[in-house]
Amino acid sequence: MSTSKSVLSENETPKDAGRLGLVRASGLAPDRSAAEISQRALLNILEDFAAEKRSLEGGQRAMLNILGDFDLERTRMEGAQRAVLNILEDSVAEKTQSEAAQRSMLNILDDFASEKTQLEAAQGAMVNILADFSEEKGRLEETQRAVLNILDDFETEKNKVELVNEQLEKEIEERKCVEARMHGVNAELLAANKELEAFSYSVSHDLRAPLRGIDGFSLALLEDYADKLDADGKDYLHRVRAGTQRMGMLIDDMLNLARVARTEIRLEMSDLGALARSVASELQKTQPDRCVEFQIQESLEAYVDCHLMRIALENLLGNAWKFTSKRKSSCIGFGRTSLGGRPAYYVRDDGAGFDPAYASRLFGAFQRLHEKSDFPGTGVGLATVQRIIHRHGGRIWAESALEKGATFYFTLPETGQGGLRDA
Amino acid sequence: MHEKIILLVEDNSDDEMLTLRALKKNNISNEVVVARNGAEALDYLFGTGAYAGRNLSFMPQVVLLDLNLPKLDGLEVLRRVRADERTKLLPMVILTSSNEEVDRINGYGLGANSYVRKPVDYNQFSEAVLQLGLYWLVLNESPPASRA
Repeated sequence: MSTSKSVLSENETPKDAGRLGLVRASGLAPDRSAAEISQRALLNILEDFAAEKRSLEGGQRAMLNILGDFDLERTRMEGAQRAVLNILEDSVAEKTQSEAAQRSMLNILDDFASEKTQLEAAQGAMVNILADFSEEKGRLEETQRAVLNILDDFETEKNKVELVNEQLEKEIEERKCVEARMHGVNAELLAANKELEAFSYSVSHDLRAPLRGIDGFSLALLEDYADKLDADGKDYLHRVRAGTQRMGMLIDDMLNLARVARTEIRLEMSDLGALARSVASELQKTQPDRCVEFQIQESLEAYVDCHLMRIALENLLGNAWKFTSKRKSSCIGFGRTSLGGRPAYYVRDDGAGFDPAYASRLFGAFQRLHEKSDFPGTGVGLATVQRIIHRHGGRIWAESALEKGATFYFTLPETGQGGLRDA
Repeated sequence: MHEKIILLVEDNSDDEMLTLRALKKNNISNEVVVARNGAEALDYLFGTGAYAGRNLSFMPQVVLLDLNLPKLDGLEVLRRVRADERTKLLPMVILTSSNEEVDRINGYGLGANSYVRKPVDYNQFSEAVLQLGLYWLVLNESPPASRA
């Protein structure tokens, strides 16, 4: 810039010199010859001056050309300078921006530093957590191992259980088979029982009716035609009647035996002593003249079917009553004793007794060890007693010697549970 | 006053004859109407069949009813007698060979007034007939005739 100014001030110098020349000329005017000489000199000078002016103008033009070129250069220079300046300006802006960016970067870095601290703290915490976690993990793994062990054990147990289950299922299957068979047998039994009931009913009705006819009309003959019958005829009719009556008794006893077998058993706590005393007093009423002492224990509580047990005692005490009938006085005992550490009930008499050789026949139906003429009976009584004791789950047996009395023993399950039997 | 009638429902002619003889021997001379099965007994009581037009204001003093009967059995006769307004109070005595528990339960359950088993021994049978005659014909007061 400074270079261009200096160029302009040199250019103005010739103009100043011309004006000075004119001002000098106007001051020389009064002498004509001198004036003419002066004029020519002046013209010469002017001509010189013009030449000078022309070469100056040439020089000026060259100079102007140079200056024109120079100006061009300058313009270009200025353009370049402006471009450089622009670039510089841009660069400055860039720089400012860059600085701002740098500052914000620094800020960010600062922030980042605090972040980093926080992050480090967080990381530290995280590491701690991870450490804790690791411990936890350790413990968890331990627990898991324990659980796995348990699961292993469980698996073993499960296998065992499955095995047991299989066996159980097999057993259940077998049991089902058995039950099915039992069911079949039971159905057969039920059917048989039904048949027996029908049979008993029929016996009760249909066999008794003709007997009543035979007996009734025999008696009618004896009553209405007594005058036409001799002693033999009457004796025959009496025998007919005795036969029918005995048959009637047999039928009744048979029915009782069947009834004992099929009656539903109902257990309750009962005093067998009281039951025996009641039976004894009934027996005494049938033959009040007889001298029989009953020795019956007190409080013989037992879990029995009262109704069935009464039938049993009626038969046992009735037998004792019957087989002591040929004695002037006798004693009949009933009580509880201990045989082989287990309680057993007994009915003891001091009557005719029986031959132990035939003891096995005692409890068979229609089995008799004595002559009917000596001791009446159908031979069903002890079979009935045995059936009743068996239905209670007990056992019965007898000991005796001829003319030495007899003792009948029987047992009952202590609780009365579980030993019950059908017929 | 009308005679006190006995209705004997009995299919066995031996038992019928023995019963009649026992009544006679015991000097019970009341009229005995015999029905030989359950249907005949109901005909008599309700005035139907062979007994159509019978004066129903006269009812038996007692009915002696066997259980084992042809056609309608004794228990069915009892059921129908108790179900009918005209006969629901009629004295009904079951006289049978059976002493089966089920027969006694059903007999009383259907409203029998008494249950007597016929003994095989004729002496005992005769005694039973005498007792029945004395009790039902003499001692027992019958229900009012119009409602019997």
